[in-house]
Amino acid sequence: MSTQSNNYYTSRRQQNWSRNQNTTRFVSAIKLGPVAHTVLVALMITVLGLIYLTQATRTSGYGYETQRIDEQISQLNEQKSDLQIENARLTALDNIKNSNVAREMTTPASTNYVD
Amino acid sequence: MKLDLQKGSRARVLAIVIVAIAGIFVARLFYLQVMQYGHYTDIAKATQEKRFVIPASRGEIYALDGSTPIQLVMNQTVYTVFADPKTVTEHDAVLKTLREVAGGNLEPNIDSRLKADNRYQRLATKLSATQRDKIKEKNFSGIGFQTETQRVYPEGQLAGQVLGFVNNDGDGNYGIEGYMNQELKGKEGALQAVTDVRDVPLTIGRQNVRVEAVDGKSPVLSLDRNIQSHVEQALKAGIERTGATHASAVVMNPNTGKVMAMANFPSYNPGEFSKVTDGSIFNNDTISVPYEPGSTIKTLMLATALNQNVAKRTDTFTNTDSIRVEDRTISNASKGHTGVITFQTAIDWSLNTGMVTLAQRLGNGSQITRGARDIMFDYYHNKFRLGENTGIELANESSGLLISPEHATGNAVRYSNMSFGQGMNATMMQVATAFSAAINGGTFHQPSIINGYMVDGQYQPSAASASTPGVITPATSSEVREALISARSLIRNTGRDGYMIGGKTGTSQVIKNGTYSDNETIGSYVGFGGSEKPEYVIMVKVSGENKELQGARDAVPIFNDISNWMIDYLKLRPRG
Repeated sequence: MSTQSNNYYTSRRQQNWSRNQNTTRFVSAIKLGPVAHTVLVALMITVLGLIYLTQATRTSGYGYETQRIDEQISQLNEQKSDLQIENARLTALDNIKNSNVAREMTTPASTNYVD
Repeated sequence: MKLDLQKGSRARVLAIVIVAIAGIFVARLFYLQVMQYGHYTDIAKATQEKRFVIPASRGEIYALDGSTPIQLVMNQTVYTVFADPKTVTEHDAVLKTLREVAGGNLEPNIDSRLKADNRYQRLATKLSATQRDKIKEKNFSGIGFQTETQRVYPEGQLAGQVLGFVNNDGDGNYGIEGYMNQELKGKEGALQAVTDVRDVPLTIGRQNVRVEAVDGKSPVLSLDRNIQSHVEQALKAGIERTGATHASAVVMNPNTGKVMAMANFPSYNPGEFSKVTDGSIFNNDTISVPYEPGSTIKTLMLATALNQNVAKRTDTFTNTDSIRVEDRTISNASKGHTGVITFQTAIDWSLNTGMVTLAQRLGNGSQITRGARDIMFDYYHNKFRLGENTGIELANESSGLLISPEHATGNAVRYSNMSFGQGMNATMMQVATAFSAAINGGTFHQPSIINGYMVDGQYQPSAASASTPGVITPATSSEVREALISARSLIRNTGRDGYMIGGKTGTSQVIKNGTYSDNETIGSYVGFGGSEKPEYVIMVKVSGENKELQGARDAVPIFNDISNWMIDYLKLRPRG
């Protein structure tokens, strides 16, 4: 008797399977034809495309947000600048000189110096 | 997976069709995306990417109030309202709103502008944000707004000629605006970005480039607004009193070279520069208009002679009210102090003969030799820096004119005239700076009008300006001070006793059509004041077409006004 050996690996499960008696295999009753396959693949590509587009345009939305904040900063700076100008005008020398407080002031008749 | 499609079946046909269409797509896409890649990316860039300028804010200009910086020049955002007449639908409502809100900012004939046959009409300018908002909230069609920045001057025309103005192109002219134009302007930034259809920059562009703008520097001038204001008032009052048409004054710290006030009258408001009809008003006469300084220069002649040890204040000479120099006779304006008199007397009465004698003593005692002229030029030009720009940080400085002895006209006659301030040209700034060096102990401080900069809202003083000690010795300087105090003591009604105040008058002849005018003179006075040491130097000049103005009569009262006020302002105590 001659024996043959090979180098193929045979899993234990398969070994068991070979001698098992109750092993079953599920086979779906729904069969997809090539057209359905094609449509499904097309649908998957479309969905993936949409997901990609929403993600890509989401980042572009940051541009609008940035611009809105920039405009807000600009408006606040403008207001700050206007207030500073108003403050400078109100504290200008001419305004101070013409103020009621200044009008009430008098020149001292004499000056004493404290050591 | 192997598709087992029956030959001629519909599925097989469909598959072939789909593969064929896909093949066409792939081929077309390959052509567009690979072969035409460069072409389409260029078009995409051109349409999607925009380059925006990020404007730099022009630096503000500050002055001092004591030691606190205050704004003299600021920036304000203002708006221009424009219309596209072809798309304006509510003419009456637009007119009504504009008249109610814009008032004096309206352009003339806005009614006809709104009906014009073009696409752009300016309706109102320089509106505030509040005014713009009131118009904007009406949401009129065909009405738009443009943003602009303008310079505002909270102190009005204070120091107008020192500041200069910014023209409609945004460039500084005259004064500090002109001198520091590039530094004040800053550097514009740039934004290169992918935009949407409304030109809103988006963040998705991988090649977006943003270079931030660098705002202009904000200098803090050494001018003190209180001193400046008083000096301007004093000049105005002086003009009313004397009948002069022009008056100028410089107040500086002789110990640092910092200018505390610099004024001319008449002046202008830089915010309304377009209303100025006489362009010469833009000039800052104290630095731009050289003149023959006259007897104020006798201070420098005395300092030169004392420092060269050729004379003392108490030395004597014989005054005959005239003196011969080569073929010319030089006379005194003030006559009668003849006989053997001291050089101090010559200074007190401003005698030209005394100064010519000092110049002769620099030579062989009887002539203003080449050696004497070389010494005078060395002091006047190299030590006291007359005849060259002082380097003050203001536009349009004039260098004046000082003829060297090497020049054919740099002869004894000219130098005899130069000993009492004629035959040469100098600006008030040059004279006041040289005078400061003569009385402060002998150190020449380069005059400066910038005290520091505002950085991130904080005042950062700059380093002291360049100085050259040893122009004359401290002992000589002390003698000069005493001579000037003595000269001032002859002036009556100066107002304050007990302070160290001295000065020198000047009455200069004016050259007209190549000869000295008989009916026009310039009056000037340069002096110092302080308690234990000079704390301020004031130079005043008054002039007018066909006006004979004198230093003692017309300039001294203005000096007194400013000096007496300075004593109080600086809280100086009388000497022990």
